[in-house]
Amino acid sequence: MTVTCEELRDSAQKVFPDWEAARDPAHSWQTISELGWFMLGVPEDQGGLGAGRGELAVIFAECGRVLLPGAVIAQFLGVEALAGAQDFAGRESLLEAAMAGELITTSLEHAGSDAALRCVPDADRARHVLVRQAGEIALVALDGAEISQTPTWDLSRRLFDVTLAADARRTILASGDAAEELGARLDGLLSLALAGDALGGGQALLTMTIDYLKDRRQFERPLAMFQALKHRVANLKAALVTAESLYYGRAGASTDAVALGAMKAHACTAFRQIAEDAVQLHGGVGLTAEYPVHLFLKRALLDAALGGDADYWEEQAGRQALAPA
Amino acid sequence: MTSTLDALRTELRAWLADNAPKDWRAASTHDQFAAGQRDWFARLVAAGYAIPHWPEPWPGGGRSLAEQKVIYEELARADAPRLLLSFVSTYHAFATFAECGTEEQRARYLPGILAGETWCQGFSEPGAGSDMAAIRTRAVRVAREGGDVYVVTGQKVWSTMAQYADYSLLLARTSDEGARQAGLTYLVMDMKAPGVTVRPIHQIQGDEEFAEIFIDEVEIPVSARVGEEGHGWAVAQATLASERGLTLMELSYRMRGALSRLAEAIRAAGRENDQGIVRDFGRLATRIDAVCALADRFLQKRMDDDEQVGDASIVKLAYARCLRAYADLGVRVSGLAGQLHAPITFGDLNSGNWMADFMNSYAWTIAGGSDEIQRNIIAERMLGMPREPKHWTLAESKP
Repeated sequence: MTVTCEELRDSAQKVFPDWEAARDPAHSWQTISELGWFMLGVPEDQGGLGAGRGELAVIFAECGRVLLPGAVIAQFLGVEALAGAQDFAGRESLLEAAMAGELITTSLEHAGSDAALRCVPDADRARHVLVRQAGEIALVALDGAEISQTPTWDLSRRLFDVTLAADARRTILASGDAAEELGARLDGLLSLALAGDALGGGQALLTMTIDYLKDRRQFERPLAMFQALKHRVANLKAALVTAESLYYGRAGASTDAVALGAMKAHACTAFRQIAEDAVQLHGGVGLTAEYPVHLFLKRALLDAALGGDADYWEEQAGRQALAPA
Repeated sequence: MTSTLDALRTELRAWLADNAPKDWRAASTHDQFAAGQRDWFARLVAAGYAIPHWPEPWPGGGRSLAEQKVIYEELARADAPRLLLSFVSTYHAFATFAECGTEEQRARYLPGILAGETWCQGFSEPGAGSDMAAIRTRAVRVAREGGDVYVVTGQKVWSTMAQYADYSLLLARTSDEGARQAGLTYLVMDMKAPGVTVRPIHQIQGDEEFAEIFIDEVEIPVSARVGEEGHGWAVAQATLASERGLTLMELSYRMRGALSRLAEAIRAAGRENDQGIVRDFGRLATRIDAVCALADRFLQKRMDDDEQVGDASIVKLAYARCLRAYADLGVRVSGLAGQLHAPITFGDLNSGNWMADFMNSYAWTIAGGSDEIQRNIIAERMLGMPREPKHWTLAESKP
């Protein structure tokens, strides 16, 4: 791996200076495919760039910062599954196509929820869906599947329910112990991606809110001069930086699904606090569709609900920490 | 580099296994606690672990920040007592003399610190808490036969363990001209000098960690002034900047280690299957890990010479709020039993005496720059939000 975290961050910020620059889904998808984001986490001997989770963590935060639309997280999961799969005929070309941006979608619900395929982003433009079921991880063709969009409050993502065709072509990627191992990796990656999305979004929204407070004047002074508002902003900044430290600390070091899930809960809670306060701190304009604050609020709440919510992960973390050593 | 750190860790871990005091929580009086502190400090000095941040050739000095971090990690891991009594002397006094003192002053005071002389800080006053520039303790320069002295009169407060101190780092006012900060002068006061009276402050949890110092016409030789007259404010910044993040890292690690005490309390209360408690415990454990990661990241930034204004404030604020949450969950789990008074443990913020820990946690949200001051620093100096106008007028006093 020759690309550093700083280089990844710089290049992302160059192509997407802000959320408006990333707004067009087709254009964004093409851009990040060309930048090779989907190749990042794939080992070099499989044609990827061999980056670690620490580098992926940077990319996920950049996605959140600009509310990157589309099925980016699903694609990262699809690529990870293909790269970690047992060998089968056609695997190499599927992986190559996926790294180049051909969409593989998958459910962003926490795998433990149930077997139904819900919260599947952009299922209408994918040819394959990654499915996890009873001791098996498979790539299933979407030909003949019944798909229906479930409108979400978050306007930056399009989610679908999917019912697969009875005779759908299935390719087993892993089964038994291998499926368990790969499944844990996918769980961890989903948590990491959602946490990064939350922290990038939180950072962008907090910056936007501070700029607004400096700009907006009432009582013959900028709102940013009022201590009551300063202290709220300082609390949000502290929450964000603390969550970022945990995120970058665990991203490269931890593979434990519960540790990563609890980290995801912590990050999403921070984003949620920032988003809830950002609406309030923007006052009336925070309620208008014209200002982008609501876009971040809605993404924050969807991030919090996907991939297992805070109630779920905090309970898991509590049980783990309470278990006798 | 890593192998040096690993070697230090191995060597220190072995030493601590044989030497770390095990029964220090049993101290039942302040004097026992102080005696235990002196003994532990002396052993660390002898073994070369007490002053890793001092330069060579001081014994055990000249350690890198990475090595210092290893030492505090291991002290926390071994659950050894924190060095509270010698903290002001080895950090605050040392940094002050190192950066602003004379060669004579270093030669005069530093060896005594290693021999166990303890120091306290005389900055805060009843009328100068968060607003330190409001200091009123007065120093007047007077000619004496053996050389000029400052005659000092005033009152200091919140001075940590002043009742045991041999010397005080003192900020006093030598002028009312110009900016308030410009009238301050930095002095070293001998706590045994005539006119010095110390009164410990009884705190709400039963400890006497802080004291008041009454100063009545105490004579301090001009040779005990640090920096020039009127430069006290700048010298005090050197004093206060000396902790370098290690303390908060050590405290965060100790809080993480003490999660097991909270887990025991939850099991003892039979609530290990209470979903609400389990969830809150999981959230707290994650938050404590986040604070540890934050403290680590801050130290790393310091090592990379990349520290930014406000970084230290975020670490302190995050730690202090998390410590409160830790004690708060303990109080909640301990229920009515927790309301029955139990003897306190000296020098331990995570003792498992939940009411005492809870009350003790205020020391971190108020002392050393309150949470509110930290928030101001973060908002104004890090995030660039404008300061409020300095002057205001009472509405009633308007014509």
